[in-house]
Amino acid sequence: MHFKARAGQKLADVILQDNLKKAKSKFVDRRATAILDLDDFEATRDSATALRDRVLNDLDLWLEKFEQQAAKSGASVLWARDGAEICWLVIDIAHRHGVKKAIKSKSMLSEEAGLNQALETAGIQPVETDLGEYILQISDNEPPSHIIAPVFHKSKEEVSALFARTHHLPAKDDIQALTREAREVLRPHFLSAEMGISGGNFLIAETGSVALVTNEGNGRMVTTLPKVHVVITGIEKVIPTLEDLATLMRLLPRSATGQSISNYFSLLTGAKQAAESDGPEHLYFILVDNGRADLVGGEFAEMLRCIRCGACMNHCPVYQAVGGHAYGWVYPGPMGAVLTPLFTGMQNALDLPQAATLCNQCGVVCPVKIPLPQLLLKLRAKQVEAHLRPFGERLGLRAWAWLALHPALYALATRIGVRYLLWLARDGKRNDRIRVLGVAPEWTLGRDFPAPEGKTFRELYAARKETA
Amino acid sequence: MSSRADILGRIRAGLGRDDANAVAGRSALDAYLAAKPQGPKPKVDGDLLARFREKSEQLSSTVDAVATPQEVPQAVARYLSAQQLPAQAVCWPELASLPWQQAGIAVEARAANSSDLLGITGCYCALAETGTLVLCSSPNTPSAASLLPETHIAIVPAGRIVSGMEEAWQLIRRETGELPRAVNFISGPSRTGDIEQTIVLGAHGPYRVHIVIVNTEK
Ligand code: SF4
Repeated sequence: MHFKARAGQKLADVILQDNLKKAKSKFVDRRATAILDLDDFEATRDSATALRDRVLNDLDLWLEKFEQQAAKSGASVLWARDGAEICWLVIDIAHRHGVKKAIKSKSMLSEEAGLNQALETAGIQPVETDLGEYILQISDNEPPSHIIAPVFHKSKEEVSALFARTHHLPAKDDIQALTREAREVLRPHFLSAEMGISGGNFLIAETGSVALVTNEGNGRMVTTLPKVHVVITGIEKVIPTLEDLATLMRLLPRSATGQSISNYFSLLTGAKQAAESDGPEHLYFILVDNGRADLVGGEFAEMLRCIRCGACMNHCPVYQAVGGHAYGWVYPGPMGAVLTPLFTGMQNALDLPQAATLCNQCGVVCPVKIPLPQLLLKLRAKQVEAHLRPFGERLGLRAWAWLALHPALYALATRIGVRYLLWLARDGKRNDRIRVLGVAPEWTLGRDFPAPEGKTFRELYAARKETA
Repeated sequence: MSSRADILGRIRAGLGRDDANAVAGRSALDAYLAAKPQGPKPKVDGDLLARFREKSEQLSSTVDAVATPQEVPQAVARYLSAQQLPAQAVCWPELASLPWQQAGIAVEARAANSSDLLGITGCYCALAETGTLVLCSSPNTPSAASLLPETHIAIVPAGRIVSGMEEAWQLIRRETGELPRAVNFISGPSRTGDIEQTIVLGAHGPYRVHIVIVNTEK
């Protein structure tokens, strides 16, 4: 199903529309306040953008450096070309360490790979521990609708019903009680799992460490309690130094949730020391390509700067109207509209680059200054070059191009066109609005088309010239 | 071809990598790692202690201050009775020698487990910019004590409050050389906003974080 069809369904979903409205302004308002306490937000953005570009322009060298340092600290570094390879590697590690249960802190790469299903098939129980991700898992492995607020689309009533059904406990009606229930249900899993799987917000080349940001504390549990810790991250997540980490950490939580800092932020290096009472005995990194390597050095390389803060979707009028599921894959909103066609193939996400008004709200808020609207325009151009647009559109544009090369005919056609539009507008109460556009009735399903003034530019120009 | 060779090969192709520019690239990389340039930082001037206190409270932590380490157990006892919490705790081995018993608190210095209700820790340093505790893991300072119990009490020597994250990294490089396995930055009680973007305190980690500042210069 395409974006257009899914978007239509989502717009008609009364509960979803209500939930979206409730959540809408919270992130936006909190971010606006939080960026004020950085004395120079713009300079911090510039600095973050420059340091992300520095790595991307020499990504092979920075990855080698990271690998070297991680190995020195005692971690194992593995590489995966795609989702299937991620699953294969994780299952292999699990088998090697006799793992029956894996607790997970949020990882978008695990979503890209469909890792939970693969683990289940291999007889390993995956347990999501981020509250939002857990809700999705018990809701029949529903996909997330937002990269930092996975259940953005659900109301507390829906969560309450789901918990009562799954936990066989009396239904709770306040959010506090629901959160406590999840804590109590998940605690035994934390204590019994042999493996922890996490994403990674940043990989630090200087030290071979992973930086992990969470609010709930589940990230810390997942990386402290089980005997094996597997970090799954994209190859683009490398940054040079701990100083650079400090710069990015001023932007990430502020842009994401409007917090000056996330509750927990851990820098993890190597496995546990002999005398330590906690920490994993084995630390693995899986560095994932899945479409990223081919973007390096190319015209979409800027997209690899992304630090997955979600600000672009929080500020996107299209996302706010249809929610994340309409985008059809792991990443929604403007960043998803760019990433999905690049990662999964342009022909598989044909209408996503069109799913934007190009208002540039996303470009304005992006902490690493990714020019999202320009990238969407580039993708549209690519579609045309690859002859991927629908037949009707292609024919129309061809006809227009032909007409534009024949000025006399063009003048005639536009004169007729304008008269036709005026005629369409004649029966409205106001005659400057067209209720149903004859040639493209779909376009006027949700809005009116403004009627032209009455004459074409050429006619007006000619008339002016005569009187002058 | 291994996945590693394939992935790195495609990155190199995209970047137009050859032997000559690899050499130049590596030395630029090493120079950058040596220089460790800092980005713009918000001004954190004046009284670091006052700023740390203010920011911690904004993050829903509670803060108390005493003059000497010996007074910490009394301050902890006051907090526990005010909150009506049981006077029973697990603490970092390095804090075992404080006079807990005199303050009427039963404290065990061992690894925390899930039935511990209160964990008492020190901290490596603290950040005034955001009101953040920085804890480094080691056999004497295990991570779980600040994570599993419902209440976390952290002892912060005033002299260990630095302005921001950059200063914390510098301190770690200077004092310990190698990074510990885990450096945990803790900013208030655990929280979630996943249901309807409504903030709830006490997700998987502690519900309460209480900070006792030891200000020997007072
Ligand atoms: S594109 Fe920019 S705003 Fe959107 S998630 Fe990535 S970093 Fe954040």
